[in-house]
Amino acid sequence: MSQGPSIPLRQRLLSWFFLFLGALYFFLPLIATLEFSLRAKKGVLSFLAYERVLRDPKFVQAFTFSLEMALLTVIVGVILVVPTAYWIRLRLPQLRPIVEFITLIPFVVPAIVLVFGLIRVFSRPPLLLTNSETGTQILLVAGYVVLVLPYLYRAVDTGLQALDIRTLTEAAQSLGADWWTIITRIIFPNLRSAILSGAFLTITIVMGELTMASFLVGLRAFGPYMSQVGQNRAYEGAALAVISFMLTWAFTTLFQFVGRRALGGDQTFVAR
Amino acid sequence: MAYLSLTGLSKQFGQTIAVEHFNLEIERGELVSFLGPSGCGKTTTLRMIAGFEYPTTGQIVLDGVDITHLPPNRRHIGMVFQSYALFPNLTVAENIAFGLKIARRPLEEIRKTVQEMLDLIHLSDYGNRYPYQLSGGQQQRVALARALAIHPRVLLLDEPLSALDAKIRVELREEIRRIQQTLGITAVYVTHDQEEALSLSDRVVVMNAGHIEQAGTPFEVYNYPKTRFVASFIGQLNLLPVQVSDPARGVVLFKNTPIQVELTAPLAGVSEATLALRPEELNLGEVPGRNHLRGKVLDVMFLGAIVRVRVDLQGHEALADLFNERQMSLPRVGEEVTLNFPPHACWIIHE
Ligand SMILES: Nc1ncnc2c1ncn2[C@@H]1O[C@H](COP(=O)(O)OP(=O)(O)OP(=O)(O)O)[C@@H](O)[C@H]1O
Ligand SMILES: [Mg+2]
Repeated sequence: MSQGPSIPLRQRLLSWFFLFLGALYFFLPLIATLEFSLRAKKGVLSFLAYERVLRDPKFVQAFTFSLEMALLTVIVGVILVVPTAYWIRLRLPQLRPIVEFITLIPFVVPAIVLVFGLIRVFSRPPLLLTNSETGTQILLVAGYVVLVLPYLYRAVDTGLQALDIRTLTEAAQSLGADWWTIITRIIFPNLRSAILSGAFLTITIVMGELTMASFLVGLRAFGPYMSQVGQNRAYEGAALAVISFMLTWAFTTLFQFVGRRALGGDQTFVAR
Repeated sequence: MAYLSLTGLSKQFGQTIAVEHFNLEIERGELVSFLGPSGCGKTTTLRMIAGFEYPTTGQIVLDGVDITHLPPNRRHIGMVFQSYALFPNLTVAENIAFGLKIARRPLEEIRKTVQEMLDLIHLSDYGNRYPYQLSGGQQQRVALARALAIHPRVLLLDEPLSALDAKIRVELREEIRRIQQTLGITAVYVTHDQEEALSLSDRVVVMNAGHIEQAGTPFEVYNYPKTRFVASFIGQLNLLPVQVSDPARGVVLFKNTPIQVELTAPLAGVSEATLALRPEELNLGEVPGRNHLRGKVLDVMFLGAIVRVRVDLQGHEALADLFNERQMSLPRVGEEVTLNFPPHACWIIHE
């Protein structure tokens, strides 16, 4: 009976060893943080630090605030990116290198420069936004949209690549569809999993973002709040880190589950 | 006036001339196919009818209305693509209903039409499946149903069977023809498969390098090709160089063998010409009143219904297609044979 190419024992042991090493590198700090976070009460392991964190009303406030910002970023980003990426693939392929470069701006221009630029431009008439709460939140979301562009654009563009959008567009047109119908009924639904993975990345990035949030809204956002707690109170800081890590994992699992199950259409990609 | 008329159509992409001087009239209920080699402009012409490309010059008139510059979503012209192009996020039934929903037809009517269409393509129980759960042939049938559901004024098909395997191809092309005739749909069918074009069309338009070489019934373009291109593109054709010896009576010489030709065009003033002859017109043996050519058998291919014999006629190869019969004795390689054919089977192509 053939069992495929058999890998020599030594080689197999070696790969397991490196896998173990990688896991160690990843989990050791996490375990250390977890262990530390449980030592708030002297001599015994307890969830005291967690209780304090979760009981702090500022935690809930900062968390929900940042989640709101993240969801707004997703909505604005998706509305901006999906039609753009679609149109470029369909009609302006020669512009693709340029647009791809633009989406890479956050890697080239640091967030600190971006946020100073935003503040300078929008802190005086005719575009005075920095003096109101809504105004700064608009700026924050706008900044975040730029910040997550590389991830969102790439996710959507890869999703589009898996579709034969030119033919699908023409098929829809020949059936009488206008652009609005094509984008809402064909393009968006078929990009669900791409949009979801982009959205997930966006939320993760925004929830932990520090620079822009510090300058525009300060401690109201989750990033600055986490950083402040970490500086002032060691055990609570560690507990917060563990909590945000768990949340990230929960999100990942949730999206994977939701993305697979409820949004049936995307299974086609797997089938092809 | 014809139902669909294309007048002086041309299309240029930068320096490339994809289509030029294209004139064609299509009658209501007719199935016309565009046949030609790769790159001859079939798809481009079809896309101009659909509205995905706008012609550089010329006019498209459908049912008395100029639609040359109408956007594709307002033409009411159905299209079937080589790659099926079903919407992957919609079920079979939703795909078929797509055009009707856009047209805001009443729900009851949509439901009824979808069921009719499913029955028409013999996929009555497949309404709830997703495209990826269907075979290629089934997907293409759904694509056909989706295009037909909106009762298009014209149905366009661009090599709809090219992605399928041979057996399904034949099955489905018969089905397409049946449905087209049942519904009385006017259709334009693009293909580079001559058998497909000949077998299902009312008329075949043979294209070459962006222009029409000949348009006619399958019988006409096969038996009476007007140009050398059509003659050699459709079917197999033997071409032999001949000298005109008696223009008045239609006698030509192939290597000093006299051949009687039925005169369709005057031969006066021509000395050198080409004799064209379909392989299936050639038979073995001597028959009084026919032309004869002697040669040596190069090889014998048994194709089932047909036995294809390649013969060397003093330096020129010719094919002879013989009908297979059980009692026939196959010629052997190297054997000297005599081929016969009647005068009306061959024709002269002027240089
Ligand atoms: N969008 C385009 N831009 C530039 N040239 C094009 C474009 N579309 C078609 N062409 C050119 O026009 C000519 C005709 O192309 P067309 O697709 O109509 O050929 P076809 O007969 O459908 O060939 P095939 O059998 O390979 O599908 C070709 O030379 C092709 O390269
Ligand atoms: Mg083509």
